[in-house]
Amino acid sequence: MWLQATLLLLASCVPSSLAIYRDEVNHIDYHHALLGLPASQSTFFLKPSAASNASLLYTLSEKSLLGAVNPKDGSLVWRQNLSRSALPVAHPSAHGLLRASEGTNALVSALGDYVSSWSALDGKLIWENWFEGEAVADLELLELEDVSAAPATKDTVALFGGKAGVVRRLDGDSGKTKWEYLDESGDIPIQLSSSATEVFYVSLQPSARKGYRIKVVTLDPLTGRQTQQQILSSEGDVFSADSVLFVGANTASPIIVWADQSHKTLKVNVIGTKQVHAFDTDNSSGESISSITVHAPKKLESLPHFLVHYETESTTWAEVYHVDLTSALVSKAYELPRLQGWSVFSTSSKDANVYFTRITQSETTVVSSASHGVLGRWPHQAPPMEQALHSVSEVVAKGDTVAVRSAAALASGDWELIRNGQTEWTRYEALAGALAAAWVEEDAQEDLAHQLEVEGHESLYGAYMHRVKRHARDLQHLPEWLKGLPKRIFTSILTDEVSNLDGFGIVRPVIVATENGRVYALDAGKHGAVSWKVKAADTESWNVKAILTQPGSATIHADDGSSVTLDVSSGEILERTPGTTKIRSVAVAYGDTAPVTVGIKEDGAPLKSVDGQGFFVTLSDDGRVLGWAARDNQTPAWQFLPPPGEKIIHATARPSHDPVASIGKVLGNRSVLYKYLNPNLALITAVGESSATFYLLDAISGRILHTSTHQGVDPTQPISSAISENWFAYSFWADAVDSSSAKGYQLVISELYESPIPNDRGPLDSASNYSSITNLPLPHVISQAFMIPEPISHMAVTQTRQGITVRQLLCTLPSSNSIIGIPRPVLDPRRPIGRDPTTTEAEEGLFKYNPFLEFEGKWYHSHSRDVAGIKTVLSTPTLLESTSLIFAFGGDIFSTRVTPSQAFDVLGKGFSKLQLVMTIVALTAGVIILAPMVRRKQINAIWKASS
Amino acid sequence: MTSLPPPPPPQWVVRMNTPMPRPSKEAASIPDPPGFSRKATGKNQRAQQAAAASTPAKPVETDTLKLKKAWEIALAPSKQIPMNAIMMYMSGNSLQIFSIMMVFMLFKGPIQGLINTNTVFAKFDTEGTRAKLLGVKAIYVVMQLVLLCLGIWKVNAMGLLPTTRSDWLAWESERQPLERAYFAFG
Repeated sequence: MWLQATLLLLASCVPSSLAIYRDEVNHIDYHHALLGLPASQSTFFLKPSAASNASLLYTLSEKSLLGAVNPKDGSLVWRQNLSRSALPVAHPSAHGLLRASEGTNALVSALGDYVSSWSALDGKLIWENWFEGEAVADLELLELEDVSAAPATKDTVALFGGKAGVVRRLDGDSGKTKWEYLDESGDIPIQLSSSATEVFYVSLQPSARKGYRIKVVTLDPLTGRQTQQQILSSEGDVFSADSVLFVGANTASPIIVWADQSHKTLKVNVIGTKQVHAFDTDNSSGESISSITVHAPKKLESLPHFLVHYETESTTWAEVYHVDLTSALVSKAYELPRLQGWSVFSTSSKDANVYFTRITQSETTVVSSASHGVLGRWPHQAPPMEQALHSVSEVVAKGDTVAVRSAAALASGDWELIRNGQTEWTRYEALAGALAAAWVEEDAQEDLAHQLEVEGHESLYGAYMHRVKRHARDLQHLPEWLKGLPKRIFTSILTDEVSNLDGFGIVRPVIVATENGRVYALDAGKHGAVSWKVKAADTESWNVKAILTQPGSATIHADDGSSVTLDVSSGEILERTPGTTKIRSVAVAYGDTAPVTVGIKEDGAPLKSVDGQGFFVTLSDDGRVLGWAARDNQTPAWQFLPPPGEKIIHATARPSHDPVASIGKVLGNRSVLYKYLNPNLALITAVGESSATFYLLDAISGRILHTSTHQGVDPTQPISSAISENWFAYSFWADAVDSSSAKGYQLVISELYESPIPNDRGPLDSASNYSSITNLPLPHVISQAFMIPEPISHMAVTQTRQGITVRQLLCTLPSSNSIIGIPRPVLDPRRPIGRDPTTTEAEEGLFKYNPFLEFEGKWYHSHSRDVAGIKTVLSTPTLLESTSLIFAFGGDIFSTRVTPSQAFDVLGKGFSKLQLVMTIVALTAGVIILAPMVRRKQINAIWKASS
Repeated sequence: MTSLPPPPPPQWVVRMNTPMPRPSKEAASIPDPPGFSRKATGKNQRAQQAAAASTPAKPVETDTLKLKKAWEIALAPSKQIPMNAIMMYMSGNSLQIFSIMMVFMLFKGPIQGLINTNTVFAKFDTEGTRAKLLGVKAIYVVMQLVLLCLGIWKVNAMGLLPTTRSDWLAWESERQPLERAYFAFG
């Protein structure tokens, strides 16, 4: 009976332990899908289809990423990269445009010469069109009053600048041109506007003396013929396209607003009329007006009201104007009060009603366009909000009360949704411009390391006493430790090992420096949430060259030679050194004492000389590799110049932490092929017209150890390389130049050995050290090339604590937006070609060479995630030998941990501590119960037999 | 009640626990039934022993016999060699519990045999045989060594002997460069 009960108890444990099984997605990795800072004119709330109730937040960011964000939680619904499709040539400064219209399910975007339409619901492409040599200056969706056109799609009118202004009507279904109007007068095209019946093309006509006159050409929307032309005399005020403040879009009465240069008078013209209304700006602050912005509703049925937002250095105010539709008269309706500090306005409309939302640092207010009465006022939570640049709002009216949610783009690069004064979510879009990142070094370990160092230097007795004292001191933590013990045991039983590894350096915060001068700390334990952010640069932008971490602090080096030291736990700025000379990169010399940081000038020379034995290896702006003795920063010890016609595009070296577990490779017949291990190797990539050459240099002597040249290479395609241990890999795109070469993306792996003969350590044999200058042997290089399906834009190698774990080659795939880790055993240049491996080769783990290397699904560290725009991938070891941390940045932020040889030092998820404990308890109970029974039985057996 | 002595055991119990009485003289004189033949081994043995004790055999004869016996023992391991060789060959070179146990037995037998060399031949050791027994012992040792070699060959085939370069790789150290470069490629 007892046995039965025990079995029952055990059986009841099994399902519960299996139920803990959970996928590791979102557990070991995190991902910030970023868009970049939203552009002011191309961000709006929109219902994705006529049937849906909830609206999404659409934006075309400054990084040319088009995306839809769920306003409820700030998650990304979909996104598209426009710059990928746009021709990269003509207009690097071209800004994108995004337009949509209520009731249709299509968005129309333009970037440079590229116009495309996307489904609002899922971001699928509807049509795209290229107009070579022309740049889209403005884009409008036609809202025609006649319902003859299909209501589901709306045609687009686009204004192209370039050699001459061209207005085109593009079909809403196919993107084909329906008509085009060519303006060959040489005027500067500015903008388009349309009313229900007409299309207006606004351009600037240079006047005879100076300044520009505004020319409005009225076009028939059906044929594109010019019906009317008007010239407004604005030559006294308008001197460039920027002087025109606003051209009304798709309202019942579109307007043109401009102001004179001193911002003293505001001039308004209702398009289609000749009359210009002038209003004196009411500026009593004494400060000059720094900017005037006009906010008007964009819907056809909205009331023709608009708001003019004035800004001075310290104050802001706004005026609301009404347009009389019948008489085309413009009149000032009311004024919003002048407030200290910044404020941003946004317009939203519901049916005919127009609402203006004003966000200041302390509150959000909503007014109706009809009257100045405040409909809603919500104070913000402390602390005061950061300065916003622009915002979009959505107002819902319920009887007399209103509710509002606004998405504000902040000057710090964050995008924040404020719902009735409460911050709902924040997207840290500035992280899309991450330039450098580094893992934080924890403070606690450092103390112990210091103590151990002290012990190492003392005498035997002194060290012993020191240790005894240290342990005695540690006893003061005993009560806390005992107090925490039950909780620790309990949690360790409930959770599985994989999720409970915080003590092994798995959860390390990351510091990220972005191009807008901000520094963020990401907490790996909370899915990469921002734990603090700080504006570290004095200027609005900086170019970060390196982040160097010390225990407890991090130093960020910018390219102007300045550096900022931050406290890693709080983000507090500890020290700031001003810049002196412009630097190219930063070298860290690890001498006998503390590491020394040396800036490298643009010509490749170190800024200062360092006492010590080391050598610096630098790149100069004119494409040379230079070697310097640390003592001498005047004349380089050697320099490497590629042959004429070649240009150095990339240089890389072994990581500073690159431990080698075994100095040789054991072959199947138990002989050893010795690895060529040299920490001073540099891999230089140089490209010519249609060739790529990879030079392996010894960084001390500058000698070329190995060269490989590939012909037919396209240097515009990504070329990446990585070097580690005794091997290097590179990838490029090559065309077939002769019958034996292949066309496509290639990945080449090369291994360096001391000698081609097994059991031979080369000419140096068993010497314990060597000098690169006097006697450096050349390596024996074995290479193999693979065809790969995709380009690789960046390569890195996983790092583990002792290098015992198999390494992975981390490759960034820009075309499929993913990061993969190719295991090194697959990339083994000794794989047998054209035959099956022999038994000894199979014992080594070699398998038959296949020229096409297909990326297996299990290699994808980013699995189903769309990790876009990655420029750099970093890897760092943890205290667990099996595990390496990975952090990728540049566009998105992605971090994960990888176990290239499986998590061999961690108990797996299938291991149930509870089950183990229960089994032991059950067995103990069984023994306790059965022992007296058995004893009684044995005694009885003796006594009863003898009687 | 308890003061009463236990009742005497029944008669059959007493009879069962007491051993059978010796057969009487009369019973011994009863003739055997026809066809039954009593074995006379005990008597014969006793007679032989008595004969040996009474008339000791010639020492030369016994020494030859002993030497013959000793040779048999010395050559006994050689008979195992072909069998063991086939077994070792068939069991494969992988490290499995079965092959490991077989190899262990292969080592255990010869080593024990070598240790017990003198005890094995102790009973044949007489004044007369001592000199000749030395050669026998040597052959015995050689045979055991052949078996041991078989074991070593097997262990080597299994890759358990540190005879290759890779076995000593862990004791070789990386060559250290005298110079150290600090890279700043940016």
